[in-house]
Amino acid sequence: MTKPLHPLTMWVWSLVLSIGIVALDNTWVALATVGVAALVVYLRRDGSPWNATFWWSLRIGVFIIALRALIGVLIGVPIPGTELFRIPILELPSWMPGIRIGGAVTLERLSSSVHEGVIIASMIALFGAASALTSPHKLLRVLPVFIYEIGITLVIATSVFPQLAHSVKRIRRAQQMRGMEKVSLRSIALPLLEETLTRSLQLAQSMDSRGYGVSRRRSRYRPAPWLARDFYFVLTAVAAATVMVAS
Amino acid sequence: MVLVMGQTGSGKSSLLRLINGLVPHHTGGILAGDITVDGISTREVKPGSLAHLVGIVGQNPINGFVTDIVEEEIAFGMEALNFAPDVMRKRVEEVLDLLSLNSVRNRTISSLSGGEQQRVAIASALVMHPKVLVLDEPTSALDPIAAEEVLSVLHRLVHDLSVTVIIAEHRLERVIQFVDRIIYIESDGETSIGSAEEILEKSTLVPPIIRLARALNLSEFGTSVREVRRLTSDVRNIEINAETHSRASTSPVIEVNSLHIQYGSDIALHRISTVIGQGEIVALMGRNGAGKSSLLEAIVGVLKPNAGTVRVYGGNPAELAGSQRRQTIGYVPQEPADLLYGQSVKEECTQADTQAGLSPGTTFSFLNRLVPAISEHAHPHDLSEGQRLALVLSIVLSGNPKLLILDEPTRGLDYQAKALFTLALKEYATKLNNPVLLATHDVELVAELADRVIFLAEGEIVADGSTLDVLLSSPAFAPQVAKIMSPQPWLTVDHVVAALRENS
Repeated sequence: MTKPLHPLTMWVWSLVLSIGIVALDNTWVALATVGVAALVVYLRRDGSPWNATFWWSLRIGVFIIALRALIGVLIGVPIPGTELFRIPILELPSWMPGIRIGGAVTLERLSSSVHEGVIIASMIALFGAASALTSPHKLLRVLPVFIYEIGITLVIATSVFPQLAHSVKRIRRAQQMRGMEKVSLRSIALPLLEETLTRSLQLAQSMDSRGYGVSRRRSRYRPAPWLARDFYFVLTAVAAATVMVAS
Repeated sequence: MVLVMGQTGSGKSSLLRLINGLVPHHTGGILAGDITVDGISTREVKPGSLAHLVGIVGQNPINGFVTDIVEEEIAFGMEALNFAPDVMRKRVEEVLDLLSLNSVRNRTISSLSGGEQQRVAIASALVMHPKVLVLDEPTSALDPIAAEEVLSVLHRLVHDLSVTVIIAEHRLERVIQFVDRIIYIESDGETSIGSAEEILEKSTLVPPIIRLARALNLSEFGTSVREVRRLTSDVRNIEINAETHSRASTSPVIEVNSLHIQYGSDIALHRISTVIGQGEIVALMGRNGAGKSSLLEAIVGVLKPNAGTVRVYGGNPAELAGSQRRQTIGYVPQEPADLLYGQSVKEECTQADTQAGLSPGTTFSFLNRLVPAISEHAHPHDLSEGQRLALVLSIVLSGNPKLLILDEPTRGLDYQAKALFTLALKEYATKLNNPVLLATHDVELVAELADRVIFLAEGEIVADGSTLDVLLSSPAFAPQVAKIMSPQPWLTVDHVVAALRENS
């Protein structure tokens, strides 16, 4: 697996599989798909900075499951069933009928909330896997040219964030050296803003000097090839999704 | 090949950016007169329209990179101008070969060394086959070997490919042997343009090699080591008494014991131990990435070591806080603008005065001595690189801290400012008997200033001795005067003059 995939392959794969997961609506299959995605990310990671996206998406997923379970348990339509424990009922004004906060927490309610959370989290994890394995620069190159112009500003903006974190650390350290222990927002924000602006200006000057934006059309240096392996990848995803939708 | 030289802040960067139209289209201002490149006037067209004629490499090339892979970065300009794919492929291959970048073509730019990044920046400007290549201080951040590489590439461009190269530099000694003409911008804005010999004969801003010729009263002066060696053969043959300098033992100030620093799986410093005593001026040298900044940061106390200890005046530097830290350790980081957060030079100076308890105006007068003609009301970010550095140096030095640590302190300073800086540091070390530790690539500065040199490579100390011993034993890191006067043990023009006086 040394040749890189086409940038769109992982995105198509993730899209197709999420359609399958939503259609099938089974928690265990969804978790299994996330497992497969994790395996793919692990096998194809190459140490680029965006590989961390997958783990971030997993964290967001766990947070969503917890939040969904909490809200589902506290608020909502009570489903009769095996009671786990009771929480006190919060009295709501009479103009909010039909909603009850508190009351009996049933196993069914809890498990259905968790189930919904898992489905949502799996979709997020799949898209997280797709972004973890696709270089944003390469993705931009295969998009139509008019999106490229907007896209490249986004890409440059996203590359600013790790630089920003680094700058904050450096400025904080330098100010400590000047003897300022407590750091107010103003004392960091101003140099940070100035530095970011200066850097953006320098980047703009560099791009302008190289002729960016002069010609209406852009050519493509090395179009990314769509190989047989990309076909297989997408095909397996489509096969799995058809099985899920059909059953 | 044309060199643009002048004092810090005299307008070299602006002159260079006038050539491709960035001034005034990007910076604003009033332009009188006209500049035409290949018949196209820069007043009438935007910089983008001159992209195929003028390639420009700025002072911080890393801020100008758009993509993350070397090959894509090089192709970016051509894509923007809608070149045909086969033309692009051919040109990228040519440029990769020209600048020996073929081995790194698929790597991310942030993983490259400073010299390689500089070459990538030159490659992306060169791939458009411009007629003029403009470079703003291309060697200031590079170690001597990488600087030699870049300059020989430029030399080849001029001689083999007939590209016009215009370069602004402070470290003239590396460049003057290659240049045909010099544009000298004087402090009042007047410029003199002429051949290298004409300008250097009368200029005040001269590299050591010319100062040597003046001090020895040579009838003509040379611009390269070889030329001057031929003219000074009689000077080299005098007998000198070998003096042994024994280092006076002093009480230790900085004690580093088995220091080990690791970033993930990269080992930055591998069990380093050293002691720096009072009044010593120690220079830390080594290639980019050898661990100099990590060592300095650990001594300053902002970087926690993975193993080993650092003691400054007996205490742990990481435990210092607030004003105590400022009074103990004066630190000038690699990016001097980090220390500045005021809105004007005046605000920064008065802040430094009040923090250190000095009479108001001390810092500003120090700054004026170092680099004159800085307006009080200027915003620190509007100053040139060298002026900003001078401001930070004044802020840190005027407080008279008990220890000075500087990371690349002379980037962007002209010879005069450097001489004053050297004087100020020597005064600091001798009068207050406090140590100075600086990490630098500037061999000439080390020859003038440092008593002791520590050489780092791959995270380990490979040489630690007096300046004379260490610099003379390394061919790449020897100053030009030493190369000219080899095998005599002289590092600077003053050494040569003193030895001659003793002899007569």
